[in-house]
Amino acid sequence: MPKPEDKKEEPALKGTFASVMLLGAFIILTWIGVFALFMARN
Amino acid sequence: MKSFDRSDSKLVLAHVLFAFAALFIGGVAGLLQSMVKSGSIELPANIGYYELLTAHGVLMALIFTTYFIVGFLYSGVSHTLGGKLLPVSRKLGWYGYALMSVGTVMGVIVILLGKASVLYTFYAPMKASPWFYIALALVVVGSWLSGFGIFYQYIRWKKGNKGKLSPLFAYMSVVTMLLWQICTIGVAIEVVVQLIPWSFGWVDTVNVVLSRTLFWYFGHPLVYFWLLPAYICWYVVIPKVIGGKIFSDSLARLSFMLFLLFSIPVGFHHQLMEPGISPFWKYLQVVLTFMVIIPSLMTAFSMFATFELYGRSKGAKGTFGWVKKLPWKDVRFFAPFMGMLIFIPAGAGGIINASNQMNAVVHNTLWVTGHFHITVATSVALTFFGILYWLIPAITGRVLTPRMNKLGMIQTIIWCVGMFFMSGAMHIVGLFGSPRRTAYNTYNDHPDAVLWMPYHVAMAIGGSILFIGVILIVYNIIGLLRAPRGETEYPIGEVSEASEKTPAFLERWGLWIGIAVALIVFAYTLPLVDMIMNNVPSPGYVTW
Ligand code: HEM
Ligand SMILES: [Cu+2]
Repeated sequence: MPKPEDKKEEPALKGTFASVMLLGAFIILTWIGVFALFMARN
Repeated sequence: MKSFDRSDSKLVLAHVLFAFAALFIGGVAGLLQSMVKSGSIELPANIGYYELLTAHGVLMALIFTTYFIVGFLYSGVSHTLGGKLLPVSRKLGWYGYALMSVGTVMGVIVILLGKASVLYTFYAPMKASPWFYIALALVVVGSWLSGFGIFYQYIRWKKGNKGKLSPLFAYMSVVTMLLWQICTIGVAIEVVVQLIPWSFGWVDTVNVVLSRTLFWYFGHPLVYFWLLPAYICWYVVIPKVIGGKIFSDSLARLSFMLFLLFSIPVGFHHQLMEPGISPFWKYLQVVLTFMVIIPSLMTAFSMFATFELYGRSKGAKGTFGWVKKLPWKDVRFFAPFMGMLIFIPAGAGGIINASNQMNAVVHNTLWVTGHFHITVATSVALTFFGILYWLIPAITGRVLTPRMNKLGMIQTIIWCVGMFFMSGAMHIVGLFGSPRRTAYNTYNDHPDAVLWMPYHVAMAIGGSILFIGVILIVYNIIGLLRAPRGETEYPIGEVSEASEKTPAFLERWGLWIGIAVALIVFAYTLPLVDMIMNNVPSPGYVTW
């Protein structure tokens, strides 16, 4: 197990971070889309 | 490289082939359904639409999935826990296979005789022949035996390897079968205590809301019983297939435990529109349902990270440069990857379904049918298809040829295109209100219903493309069984060096089962008491 003083570099996960954010945004947008439909039909 | 145990290979292959026989017959029914719904064909008078739909739902959702899952889990348990199954486990596997097969054959005969057109959810007060329920009970008991075989192998391995962390594949298989054990108790009680005595006429009435509650206590975890084996492929196998590493062993184990916790006490999200359950308990179970987003996003994160780390190790630059480095021409990666990709809209749809107000928009419409055709029939099914291209060669001592790989790629694309049309049309027309579980009907040429028709035609086009996909996957299996002899490795990923050691509490089964049971007791006890005390008994009906 790497100890803090090992100074092991954290792997670069920029793309992963961006992808997960995009995924979250997509989920929220579709949710809002159908919620808008629900409101419009009420 | 050690080759796969020959007698285990027979057991695994028997399950896989049975699964795809079910997929083929279910596919014929699916094709006919989509043709009927669009008004393209009419069924001969002696075949009912609901007969077909029951056969389709049962063969696809219950039989295809369960057989493939049991076969796949046994293969990985054999490979990672000692290289072969212990005699007891192998026997249990075969006994389970035999019981499930007797049940399946019996059930399909009863359905085709028109004695059980109650759909694969068999809601009371629709009343099928008792033999249909007995057949289902045999399938469930058979699957229990298969589960016990996996538990036995795991326990014996732990005894022989004191203090060691179990292999990830085996650990995940145990979680999957544990989930199955816990949830099938509900449907077993429904079938044995309520439905069989009632269907034989020993009692006159049935408690409808109780039976539906017991069904959905099983029905939602059922979808995680389908998904978790696909996740095993994503977490454990895919990193190896692409030549990368598992991002984190602890994250993988924790996400599986969270799936175990949050996929059971949530059945009410299928009963949001039902009377007889108080809003408070529905609300509570919806909150628990939403908790499942946590392990789902953990899974997404972990997959992206595996891909990105692999791409960067190959010199990829920029934020998304790693995407180009993935082995796009390898069906063992491509088919499950398409499954992952399609799981993004599928998961988003699931969150919509579980939201109370929006459930009112989509409930019982074709949207729901569209939803589970991209979840189970695409994300899960494509992952299972992708597994075939290494599993069959690995267990039969053959190799995947470039030609078979190419056919696999074509099959994957056909499936995606077919689903795009069929499931896409189902989602849209569902939002317009077109109901699921109906044959061709224009409701006296009501303008709304007439507007649905073009979408139903798109569904039939998609269904026909999918049926070609069904034929091609069967053809590919035959091709794989006749591929040239050689050695194929069973792909099991290794954990990335950068990740931390797995904490031991993730393997403290008592703790996790305890929490799971506590959540279930909390979410279900009072509503069940209420349903039993305020029984509204109903006689049975034959509606077909
Ligand atoms: C050839 C491929 C397929 C076609 C053409 C097809 C077509 C259809 C159609 C048209 C319906 C809906 C009918 C209605 O609501 O009236 C349906 C229902 C259903 N399908 Fe499929 N499907 C296919 C594959 C699958 C697969 C692979 C699975 C699961 C693994 C699956 C599971 C189901 C289930 C559970 C239902 C619901 C049955 C019910 O409402 O009781 N299908 N399918
Ligand atoms: Cu559910």
